[in-house]
Amino acid sequence: MMIYRNKLLLSSWCLLAGISAFAQTDSAQTKKLKEVIIKQQMSTTRTSLLKPMKVDEIGKGELLKAACCNLSESFETTPSVDVAFTDAVSGYKQVQMLGLAGPYTLITRENIPDVRGVASITGLTYTPGMWIEGMQLSKGTGSVVNGYESVAGQINIELLKPFEDDKLLLNLYQNTQGRSEGNLYGRKEFNEHLSTGLFVHGSSQWLKVDQNSDGFLDQPLNKQFILLNRWFYQAPKGWEFQAGIKGVYSSNTGGQWGYSSGGEQVTGRPWGYELNTKRAEGWAKIGKIFPQQKATSIGLQLSGVYHDQDAHFGPRIYDATQKSLYANLIFQTIINNTNHVIKGGLSTVLDDYNERFETMPLLRTEVVPGAFVEYAYNYLDKFNAVVGLRGDYDNLYGAFITPRLHLRYAPFKKTAIRASIGRAQRTANVLAENMGYMASSRGFAFPVSGSVFNLRPEIAWNFGLNLTQKFRLNYRDGAIGVDYYDTHFQNQVVADVEQPGQVSFYNLVGKSYAHSLQAQLDYELIHNLGMRLAYRWYQVMTDYTSGLKEKPLVAANRAFANFGYETNNNWKFDYTIQWVGPKRLPASYNTGSYYSPSFVQMNAQISKAFKNNLEVYVGGENLTNYMQRTPILGAGDPYGKDFDASMIWGPVMGRNIYAGIRYAIK
Amino acid sequence: MKRFVVFFLLVIFSSSLAFAQAKDIVTEHYKVSGNCDKCKKRIENAAYIKGVKRADWDKNTGDLALTYRPSQTSAQAVLQHIAKAGHESATVKADEMAYKNLPHCCAYKQTGKH
Repeated sequence: MMIYRNKLLLSSWCLLAGISAFAQTDSAQTKKLKEVIIKQQMSTTRTSLLKPMKVDEIGKGELLKAACCNLSESFETTPSVDVAFTDAVSGYKQVQMLGLAGPYTLITRENIPDVRGVASITGLTYTPGMWIEGMQLSKGTGSVVNGYESVAGQINIELLKPFEDDKLLLNLYQNTQGRSEGNLYGRKEFNEHLSTGLFVHGSSQWLKVDQNSDGFLDQPLNKQFILLNRWFYQAPKGWEFQAGIKGVYSSNTGGQWGYSSGGEQVTGRPWGYELNTKRAEGWAKIGKIFPQQKATSIGLQLSGVYHDQDAHFGPRIYDATQKSLYANLIFQTIINNTNHVIKGGLSTVLDDYNERFETMPLLRTEVVPGAFVEYAYNYLDKFNAVVGLRGDYDNLYGAFITPRLHLRYAPFKKTAIRASIGRAQRTANVLAENMGYMASSRGFAFPVSGSVFNLRPEIAWNFGLNLTQKFRLNYRDGAIGVDYYDTHFQNQVVADVEQPGQVSFYNLVGKSYAHSLQAQLDYELIHNLGMRLAYRWYQVMTDYTSGLKEKPLVAANRAFANFGYETNNNWKFDYTIQWVGPKRLPASYNTGSYYSPSFVQMNAQISKAFKNNLEVYVGGENLTNYMQRTPILGAGDPYGKDFDASMIWGPVMGRNIYAGIRYAIK
Repeated sequence: MKRFVVFFLLVIFSSSLAFAQAKDIVTEHYKVSGNCDKCKKRIENAAYIKGVKRADWDKNTGDLALTYRPSQTSAQAVLQHIAKAGHESATVKADEMAYKNLPHCCAYKQTGKH
């Protein structure tokens, strides 16, 4: 039996769980925190009908469908998220939601901002999939409690908790492309108050692979080591403390086959890519529930990040150091009853960037203190409204306010209609977010060089409407989800690659918008055979200096199907097929603007869990072996003006077969 | 793209076709012993034998809502299969060995209900 821990307070605070969360707090208090926890086994993805915002809960079962390797691959079975390579050299992938690049999505670890700043793209690889207990994915601007940054949506990652589930986990992975990976997790409960979890990850890409024979490695040789240690302390009288530290060491060496680390970068010598990262993070959460006042609690979240990277893409040097501090104080209470919940608080974000690109040093110190208030209203299970407002002051760009509104209406028991509107603002980290373009001969053109390039913060309004309809057909459950989101930029830092040999950054003049429509059907075809079908359509348009154009390298259409079957004797079969539509490619020196061909990709995995808690899995990615034939333009002369490895519309790597084991001690 | 839509429609159509044929179907309720979510999974998995359309077990009331085709199976057959997994009902006693191998939280004979 497990002692009930009110992990709710710390981990789900800011997650808009609102009403349902409060119900839990209530029962926890009346039963004096001594209650058997009955965990709802959430195996795959679910969308609650009750929450005021549409949140896809992605459970462990869903994450295990993609055995490799980290966050960027965790979304292979999630139609809302597109995953694409940033370039054909670095091997990094970025996620995309609502047709907007990864950095427009706020990625948090237990509600503390995680993947941002210099790590906007590379940061996805710092969370191994096996460490994750579950994720919550929501589109549109989220709650003001989590800040003002989320334009396209929020992805929150919950790591394994040291007071529940498996005591020890071991995972080993090997693929045919020369990647090995090992994960080890252990937890210990010292007593009913104190517990700790230790996470260890080591991985290596040790084999040089060049499947398209262009002389460049398809992905760099890589070594990565990550260590995380977290502590929970459940004190008497409703206090709870938790803290954690994390260290990342990552080293990448890629580029032309003959390149070895430190090689001179001049014409005639092999073109090389290196990215070496050292990153340290620490965080703490302090919370208190007031047992006398119903559903009243206060919490403080703190985190600090030190990130240092040295990189070069051929002769272009990109070094960056980021120091960030984050503090968020949240108070929540109810007015009369849990139908009126109020949250309020103060936050501060401090970012200190010291970057150098080619010969240009770039420095930025940004401090943004702010205050927020959010009111959630609940009428039976029929209607919810969450109204949020925050005011922040940015030392570089001045004061701004962030209003957000979320509505939910349930006309019938199995139907939820939700609408949201909100403003978001963020300061673009131009270099880190556009690192892919460094793998080219494109010149980086800024309006004015200096501390902040004369680029203004990005401001967007996001409007969303969605419908979730659950149904039972032929005695089996299913759900239909349709959502429409519309993002309008008031200002955007436009990355313009329409002119060959150049990427220019400037403030938006005119319009920039992203329309996104998605329909999804989940249904259990026969017992234990789940099906998910989805289709999504984007229209992402931006006014460039050359006119209003479709954003390059974004597929307007994508269809997706996933089938998962589980037998009673613990065999699992999973199959995903997707069709990715044409993407617009900007003009190069040799061609005009054109559209890439559409392509089909397939992934499949088989796993078998044995009685002794050993699970073995075998799978394949990109089974059709479809590849973009010439991912690197001008690969023959990487120091020449034609060289461009950033125009990636399809898979850079071919078929990949992998196998692995998971072993658990319960 | 077109193939995708056709496939989609086919799935919906075939499902509803199956539904239309489902005249030979009954839903009945039985009490089955168990305590927790683990038991729920065990009981429901054991209930899905040939002819069973749906099995929902409620851990609070111990009620199993069983939907099946009488032409293919009987409630007794389903309950026997559940008993083999260690969970007993009014008409079928649990298999002794299976009961002993139940997960800790499912040991309904000792702890009773929470």
